[in-house]
Amino acid sequence: MTDGDYDYLIKLLALGDSGVGKTTFLYRYTDNKFNPKFITTVGIDFREKRVVYSTNSPNGTTGKAFKVHLQLWDTAGQERFRSLTTAFFRDAMGFLLMFDLTSQQSFLNVRNWMSQLQANAYCENPDIVLVGNKADLADQREVQEKQAKELADKYGIPYFETSAATGAQVDKAVVTLLDLVMKRMEQCVEKPTADAQNTDAASKLTAAPAAEKKCAC
Amino acid sequence: MVQSMETINVSFLTDSERDLILNVLRRDEELRHLEEKRVKRLKFELLEIRRKGAKRSSGNYSTRSCGRCQQPMGRLGSRTNQCPVCKHEVCQNCHAVRPNRAWVCSVCAKEADLKKSTGDWFYDQRVNRFSTAPGRDIVRTSLRKRPPTKKRETTGQVLLNSTELNSSQSLPVPRPRLKDLASSSENLQRSDTDSAERTSLSSSRADTDSLRNLTDCLSVSQSSLVHHINPCSEDFSDVDGIFKKSVRRVHKLSDFKPTSVTDLRKDAEEETTGSMGDRSKSVPGLNVDEDEEDEDIDNLVIMHRQSVGNSAASLRSSRSTLGSMMSVYSEAGDYDIVDVSGEIVFSLHYDETAQSLAVMVKECRGLAYADAAKKKCNPYVKSYLLPDKSRQSKKKTATKSKTINPTYNETLKYSISRSQLMTRTLQLSVWHYDRFGRNAFLGEVQLPLDCHDIDSAHEECVILRGKAAGSLAPSAFAQYKGELVISLKYVSEKKAPSEKQKAKKAKAESGGELHVLIKEAKNLSAMKAGGTSDSFVKGYLLPSKGKSTKKKTQVVKKTLNPHYDHTFIYKDLSLDQLRGVCLELTVWDREAMSSNDFLGGVRLSSGAAHLKEGKQEWVADSTGEEVSVWEKMMQFPDSWAEGTLPLRSSMGKKGK
Repeated sequence: MTDGDYDYLIKLLALGDSGVGKTTFLYRYTDNKFNPKFITTVGIDFREKRVVYSTNSPNGTTGKAFKVHLQLWDTAGQERFRSLTTAFFRDAMGFLLMFDLTSQQSFLNVRNWMSQLQANAYCENPDIVLVGNKADLADQREVQEKQAKELADKYGIPYFETSAATGAQVDKAVVTLLDLVMKRMEQCVEKPTADAQNTDAASKLTAAPAAEKKCAC
Repeated sequence: MVQSMETINVSFLTDSERDLILNVLRRDEELRHLEEKRVKRLKFELLEIRRKGAKRSSGNYSTRSCGRCQQPMGRLGSRTNQCPVCKHEVCQNCHAVRPNRAWVCSVCAKEADLKKSTGDWFYDQRVNRFSTAPGRDIVRTSLRKRPPTKKRETTGQVLLNSTELNSSQSLPVPRPRLKDLASSSENLQRSDTDSAERTSLSSSRADTDSLRNLTDCLSVSQSSLVHHINPCSEDFSDVDGIFKKSVRRVHKLSDFKPTSVTDLRKDAEEETTGSMGDRSKSVPGLNVDEDEEDEDIDNLVIMHRQSVGNSAASLRSSRSTLGSMMSVYSEAGDYDIVDVSGEIVFSLHYDETAQSLAVMVKECRGLAYADAAKKKCNPYVKSYLLPDKSRQSKKKTATKSKTINPTYNETLKYSISRSQLMTRTLQLSVWHYDRFGRNAFLGEVQLPLDCHDIDSAHEECVILRGKAAGSLAPSAFAQYKGELVISLKYVSEKKAPSEKQKAKKAKAESGGELHVLIKEAKNLSAMKAGGTSDSFVKGYLLPSKGKSTKKKTQVVKKTLNPHYDHTFIYKDLSLDQLRGVCLELTVWDREAMSSNDFLGGVRLSSGAAHLKEGKQEWVADSTGEEVSVWEKMMQFPDSWAEGTLPLRSSMGKKGK
């Protein structure tokens, strides 16, 4: 399905407890279809999608459009695959951290997944979007929006309530994450001063003093 | 899963599960191949752009031409047209406006774009985090020097390779560098924690075991492990190396390491643990003859320090045997002073084609006697292109005997680019030569060349002055000597430190490590003919100046913008200790046959560190960026603090 005709390869990864709907979420996103059957993911899997991403140039108008090839990694939520799945964390540029709105436990585990991410992702503060899935099952809902929003705010990450069944907010969540990743990429590369060529894990730290530096001449 | 220490144990998978995963990995591999092809193509494009334009430091170019397209630029272009990244002067056509509204030159823009489109922005960050694989020796060499192929390696790749070989094996996964891994993982459920921590092979007792396992059966993933251990086995193959600025450097490094692998993909399998140990022992680029001249350099530093230090304290107290060399640092003062009188007649002419400055010293008139009573005066004229006070910069006329009105008609020539010249000050000093006693200073003139007519060659007559002792406030930063780009990281103490490859119990760790990544220098002064320098960086952790704290990078030849990408590691340091030390980095031009030339330096500390050096006590005089980088490093252990530091033109310390 793929050719090399794209501008960026962006790798995202979905994680969260078993059964929260990671696979169906991604299936909805890539194929716009819903599969109500629960087939547990074995270890890892991925889906792909080609999207067009357009930057907003500083003056507000829509800037250049880029072809982005998304590789969306799907991970098994099951405990027994844990060592395998966490090893894939380091290859992803952004994360969809998912829980099930109808399962309080899956929400409680978000905290654990966060620490897993912090420990295993490519940097300590990667781009993450918190996703509460199965929003369509309103009558079984166990996690209130306010609760989830508070947690997301605590981590400083966006939060979306999605439904793979109806497709609600699914695109929005992924696009938001993609946007975060693209912005980070921009930041990494376009440092204003001579540091521009040296991206570092400490990019955020270096950004501030770099800007202060006036002129060496 | 508890038994799967430090590795991904895939043995728990059933056959059908393994097949499923394998299929996924194969699909991933397809995508990866596609991506690799695309990245190669992109990098090749950059290479093409590079080839077309770009001044090379070795060539002779007019400063009035664009650094990229090499079209001549109008003289009117008073606007700053210097690319903020590469510092080339470029014309309007070679400008590219970046999304953040700043502009850079076309090549730098392309580079930035490539960083994004190839995903290198991501891999570069990841490298920083996952690079402490086993052994401190890796860290010793640059993180950036890891082979690009390796840098881009994904878990899927490792897994696929290994799974195909032996499906029930454990695999290594680099371990993230986390200062508070322990504490953060306490929040996890226990099993999670275990697996998370144990996915790594980098830091535990079981290292040896897992290593052995690997050696047994995973030849491919073993090779990847080898790369972890020894990232200096670079992949210099064609396009991959293009993010390195200078092609020259590539040759250079491979010269240094004849064993170095040119094509990893082919040779990886052949790498044995033997060669690995061999190479990880030595810091790349540190060859023997360089060590031999060590003392030489040290002496120079000491001299340099003394000379400047002394000038502040007592001008003529040290009667040293350093002789002529000492007079180079003429403030140091092994000479008699007389009342200055008279004038000097000379002319300057810059030859554009030969890239050289001719200083025609015609004559002096009415000089003072070195010894008025005996009417002694054997004057000669000495010149320097300050701030360079090295041998290269020193020229002398012949000595005329017994006259206060000597006529020389001698031309002193400097081979130097015009742009370099703009940063220099011509110093002409007149000296009395005394065969038996001391030479006497008869006067000098200083001409800052940035505002001096060096084209017309008209005769000038300037009144000689006394020593510019006070008037020239010797601010170490007064003269632009270029910049040094470095990253500092304090690696805090870990409970289970990385390498215990040997069965022997490692000695008790008494603290963390200071990693100093010397990235590159920019706009160094040219010391060699053709307007280049063969530079290297030396580091000391003051106050101790012994061999123990001395580190050096390799020499990067024929460029004023060298990339060193070399890491110095100082071990067994506590954060507290860091407050009381000062990291001194000096850049030198390597001279094969004689003493090296000082190109500039920086001194990093928290600013107010009291240092004791023998009996002498002094306060580290770090300023500005030097302090802020250091502080940042201490404030955020285990992450890189990067800084671009202006080089000092002298390393004199203020005594206390």
